[in-house]
Amino acid sequence: MRFSMGSRAGRCAAILVVAVLTGGMDEPGSGIQLELKPRVCTLAANERQCSTTVHANWHSPREESLCLIILGRSDVKRCWEHYSQGTYSVELVFSDDLLFELKDSRLETVLASEALRIIREAIRYRHRRRDPWNIFQ
Amino acid sequence: MVCDYPDRMWKLLIAFVLTAAATAGAARASPVRDCDADSPDCVAVGKWNVSLALGAGVRSNPLVHGQDLPLVVVPRISYYGKRFYIDDLDVGFTVFDGAKSTLSLIASPGYDRIFFYRSDLQNIFVQLAGAAGTNPPPVRIPLRPRAITYLAGPEWTFNYHDIIGQFDVLREVTGHNHGEEVRAAIQLPVTRSTGALSATLGLTWQSAAIVNYYYGAPRIYESGSALRPFLKLAYTRPLGRGWRLEGIAQYEHLADAIADSPIVAHDYVVTCFFGFVHAF
Repeated sequence: MRFSMGSRAGRCAAILVVAVLTGGMDEPGSGIQLELKPRVCTLAANERQCSTTVHANWHSPREESLCLIILGRSDVKRCWEHYSQGTYSVELVFSDDLLFELKDSRLETVLASEALRIIREAIRYRHRRRDPWNIFQ
Repeated sequence: MVCDYPDRMWKLLIAFVLTAAATAGAARASPVRDCDADSPDCVAVGKWNVSLALGAGVRSNPLVHGQDLPLVVVPRISYYGKRFYIDDLDVGFTVFDGAKSTLSLIASPGYDRIFFYRSDLQNIFVQLAGAAGTNPPPVRIPLRPRAITYLAGPEWTFNYHDIIGQFDVLREVTGHNHGEEVRAAIQLPVTRSTGALSATLGLTWQSAAIVNYYYGAPRIYESGSALRPFLKLAYTRPLGRGWRLEGIAQYEHLADAIADSPIVAHDYVVTCFFGFVHAF
């Protein structure tokens, strides 16, 4: 397509091209994908904690140096140097949502994050049998 | 006097069902109080409830040579589904569950067997009636077994302020005596501070078929229906951490139809228990 650089349409097209080219340039930390399995833990009515093995998997279009942490759980930390992907499995016992974060190696910038959520089955209640005829009621 | 009241029984049943249905309808139309964990009248659906009473108590046995039963350890188990429930040896299906009124269909064991068999399960999961006799009845009455029986029918329970009522119309369904039984009770609060004292007035009406199944002897003693009123005082005080203190005293008067039987020595059953209950 030919267009005049002086025209309004031409300026718009140029801005669009610059934007696409700029956006396509990879910056460190961009394009990192983090996946968790499972993503949800369901508690039955009589359970208080989730106990499960969590598999975290990340991949990036380029090599990265980064660390996987869980917010509020300093005991869990796994780092990689110059890798484009990584997996980490950990057994966890928890009673609240967990936030997994991939951070740069200095632990300053969050590159990606995913939450492992707890869903509690709603406890339903009904009326207890009223049984005054029974001696222990 | 030998008599039975099948017509009266069924009229009573019809009146009961109509009354219960009307009450249920009225309750459905009114706002239903939310049921939650903080309400002592409510229980979690889908969860087993187990408690154990530990203490000292006794139930008298009205049978000739019947030995009183000591009450030391009394387990209680219940489970409530959305509609189905198990309450010790009773099972039920709730047709309507309202804040003030509940209508269920229940099946409940015939209690009088416990007078004759110490091993009856009802002597473990203690219910209303008296204790088991380890000795046989007098020899002039031919020995015969009393099978485990179950009665089934509608149960209507209600509460009005702190007053709790119960009304059951039951029929024996296990084919051993085909009798009918009506159970009714009203529980009234007496005092309530840190502990709660309540009084319960109740009665059991048993048709001649049931009375004769347990206390009769062909050509020797045949009776009519029997009315068994009782009065119970119960005190309970929460102690925390699932424990509570409990004291119970109950006097049940046996009608002449039962007391006049040659195998019966007393016209009453007394039950008392004092101890601690722990809910697990």
